Amino acid sequence: MSARGDPAVSGRVDPSGVTAADRAAVNPLDRGYALLGVLLIAPTVLIFCAVIVYPLVSALYLSLFTIFTPTLSGNFVGLRNYAELAGSHEFWRSLLNNLIWTLMTLSLQIVLGVAAALMLNQAIFMRSLARSLILFPYFVSTVVAVLVWRWLFNDLYGVLNHFLMWAGLLDMPLDWLGTMPNAMVSVVLVGAWKYFPFVVIAVLARLQTIPEQLYEAATIDGAGAWGRFWDVTLPQLRDVLVVVVLLRAIWDFKEFDLIYLLTGGGPIIGTQTLPLMVYKEAFGMNEMGRASAVAVAMMLVMLVFMLAYFRVLRARGEEPR
Amino acid sequence: MTRSEEGEVRFEKVRKAFGTAVAVRELDLAIRGGEFVSLLGPSGCGKTTTLRMLAGLEFPTSGTISIGGRVVNEVAPGARDVAMVFQSYALYPHMTVAENIAYPLKKRGVARLEREARVRQVAETLQLSALLPRKPRQLSGGQQQRVALGRALVRDPRVFLLDEPLSNLDAKLRAHMRSELIELHRRVGRTFVYVTHDQLEAMTMSDRIAVMHEGVLQQFGTPGEVYNQPANLFVAAFIGAPAMNLLRGRAAEGGFTHPTVRLGFAGAAPGAGRDLVLGLRPEDVTLGTGPFAARVRLVEPTGHEQIAQLDIEGGDTLTIRADAEAPLTAGETLRWGVRAPRLHLFDATTGNRLEAAVMMPQAAAASG
Amino acid sequence: MRKLAGRLAFNLFAWTIVLVTAFPLVWMVITSVKPQFELFRIPPTFWPEQITFEHYARLLWDTPFLLYMRNSLVLSTATTLLVVAVATLGAHSLVRFRYRGRERLAQLVLFTYLLPSVVLILPLYLMMVWLGVANSLLSLVIAYTTFALPYALWLLRSFMQGIPDDLENAALVDGATRMGAFFDVILPQALPGIISTSLFTFILSWNEYLYALVLVNTDEARPLTTGVMNMLISAFNIEWSLLMAASVMMSIPLIIIFAFLQKFLTRGFGAGGVKG
Repeated sequence: MSARGDPAVSGRVDPSGVTAADRAAVNPLDRGYALLGVLLIAPTVLIFCAVIVYPLVSALYLSLFTIFTPTLSGNFVGLRNYAELAGSHEFWRSLLNNLIWTLMTLSLQIVLGVAAALMLNQAIFMRSLARSLILFPYFVSTVVAVLVWRWLFNDLYGVLNHFLMWAGLLDMPLDWLGTMPNAMVSVVLVGAWKYFPFVVIAVLARLQTIPEQLYEAATIDGAGAWGRFWDVTLPQLRDVLVVVVLLRAIWDFKEFDLIYLLTGGGPIIGTQTLPLMVYKEAFGMNEMGRASAVAVAMMLVMLVFMLAYFRVLRARGEEPR
Repeated sequence: MTRSEEGEVRFEKVRKAFGTAVAVRELDLAIRGGEFVSLLGPSGCGKTTTLRMLAGLEFPTSGTISIGGRVVNEVAPGARDVAMVFQSYALYPHMTVAENIAYPLKKRGVARLEREARVRQVAETLQLSALLPRKPRQLSGGQQQRVALGRALVRDPRVFLLDEPLSNLDAKLRAHMRSELIELHRRVGRTFVYVTHDQLEAMTMSDRIAVMHEGVLQQFGTPGEVYNQPANLFVAAFIGAPAMNLLRGRAAEGGFTHPTVRLGFAGAAPGAGRDLVLGLRPEDVTLGTGPFAARVRLVEPTGHEQIAQLDIEGGDTLTIRADAEAPLTAGETLRWGVRAPRLHLFDATTGNRLEAAVMMPQAAAASG
Repeated sequence: MRKLAGRLAFNLFAWTIVLVTAFPLVWMVITSVKPQFELFRIPPTFWPEQITFEHYARLLWDTPFLLYMRNSLVLSTATTLLVVAVATLGAHSLVRFRYRGRERLAQLVLFTYLLPSVVLILPLYLMMVWLGVANSLLSLVIAYTTFALPYALWLLRSFMQGIPDDLENAALVDGATRMGAFFDVILPQALPGIISTSLFTFILSWNEYLYALVLVNTDEARPLTTGVMNMLISAFNIEWSLLMAASVMMSIPLIIIFAFLQKFLTRGFGAGGVKG
């Protein structure tokens, strides 16, 4: 309760006038409704507790042990896993990779997404087919996307190398996935290709709600095509872009499938991000405790993005949505 | 129980607090069976909350609500035998008009054949027969309104609750629906509780009006009473268009004193020195002769009459109504008087009406 | 005339972009119908000189593909039914009932919606081992609720917030109980949202990889994602045509949804947290 509701503090008649008795009053019907509401949410809460809350707490707990994965036997070691991580080159390298991957693929997604949305917002030939084709990569399984791209990237028979050589951009076939920095570039490219449609859909939906009058007014004021984009479209897109950037940042940061399947984190640990490190520690090195510590550390980094997202939603006067 | 007793609605000390605000404060209201009562007030005054409590969509924090002598505080909305017409109409979009109207009967276990017969009958009354197989989205606003009425009418409930039902219609249709509602009320003879912020609707349709402000009932009376004897400054200012003129002055020398207007009390006088407010309806000002002077600031002819703003001494502006022929020219000065029996006097501190007896106008010493 | 030329140029440009974007998927289909020997032409041929469906036949009869497909169908359908049923009730409760902790709960849902699977997977793995359901489709259904349930709840909550309160109120006054109003009025209104949510949940489950990788290591319970990946890893020399055929087959449900139910997908997007 805010001080506003307390007459002693405000020094005048309580403006809200809500008394303790008011707050205590409960109508039996209302109580019945509340009970029904709790009943309806109960299955959700039970499942949440079993498969999310418990594992989350459990992950924190596991990170304090050394556990040998095949036998699941372990010893309590306190914060030693974390101390080891702090001194581990691999951990910091993975975090750095994680940030590089997120930043690069996210920027590409946003640029491509906004451009494609602007394009699709124009009256082009067979627009709905064009839209479907653009959206498809987002919905296709990562496994499918990776298989296709690995075939495209194939150094001997891949169509990508042949096309680039034919176009005169390459002299000899490139090893797309097996050397650095090519591997990171490839992963970023495929990530951008797979996820930019998300930006397209979000931006396109917003574009369609910009009132035509705004453009007319800008034209009357002498704005050219570029001016209209800069002064009308972009400010209107700002809100949706903030949300999209944060959501995509969170999702890109925790991406596992795409990188794991394309490069497996290689060459060596050249494209290994934190989620891949968790997997490797747990099932490659059989160090389940250490893996949990990496997972928890990763969560902490992500928390920054999540809190930013919550803040944005709240600042907008919307409850989280 | 007679039909009339069935329809009695009584609020006793009803209070409704939401998380951080009190929407309705200690409301006492007794509505007779078969009466058409409007709950009138600006938005946020608690009128809709009051109606929703009567419907059973909200529950009072304290106090009791009874319908037909039965306390309904803990009765589910469907068991209260009330019907409600919502501002948004709230027609079920996936049901046809016929299904919409039949829904309350279905929920009460009325057999299909009877249901159909009653739906047909109601549809006929409301001229909806041709629309029965349609979906709500295929109807115009006015037609949707009728379906909502039909859904209420089909059950012959004890009490009809109407929440600003006309506010989504255009002006012409609204005027038409007003007269239809009056007729409907007369025909079904049931209690109508009607929420509105539009005083014209309240004045034209109601038997009695409950004026509410900030969760408090200000006055409950016939349209004539709230217009002619407003219980306090809020009611005085809220009812009437153009609004009542309110002049601040004080009690002195056995009368009401103001830089321009001086009136003598002819009966029990309020104590000297008390701050008072004089209420003067625009149509209760007489022009041409009289003890007071004013300068015409602005004249707005409406065709059948003129509304004018007069500047008087003391920095006040007086809004007056005069007939179309009255010689009013902006910038000129004129003399005016008041219809003494129709003056209103309020205590400036409490805002309450003072029943000072007839007041006789006197020219202020200062005015020329 | 100039205007027409400009429009033509723009259309050409736009469609070039679209086709470049779609090229990998086009290439997938083309590769899947090329005979194996044609893949190793240098330079590669674009149109197949010869169209063959031998890879599809091999996929269906000589590999466990059909088994994986069955697993994926069962798994995705079961997950979708479970999650959408639970989430529909839950979302209705979050939107239209008042009780303590409701707001906190809604925030928790959003939080879990953003949670990385990788954090949950180790304890979940231990839990499945302990429950004795590891290596089964059931373990995957349970695991999939971790991402599908928050997602479905979030989506459905947005949809249900769009249904006017007055509809339920009208039903209550008309004599329905709260549950009656839910079935008579809310559910029919939420149906498009429920369909959208079901489609999204199905696609999410169909495409899931990590949980399947960790929790299942027998073909009996392996879904398509890990199954097909296994075909790549275990093969001595990679048969790209076969893999591309598998990719095409794997995408069939998606193609069906895209062809017939796309409006539900875009509608889901509008509700699903990207409102700006």
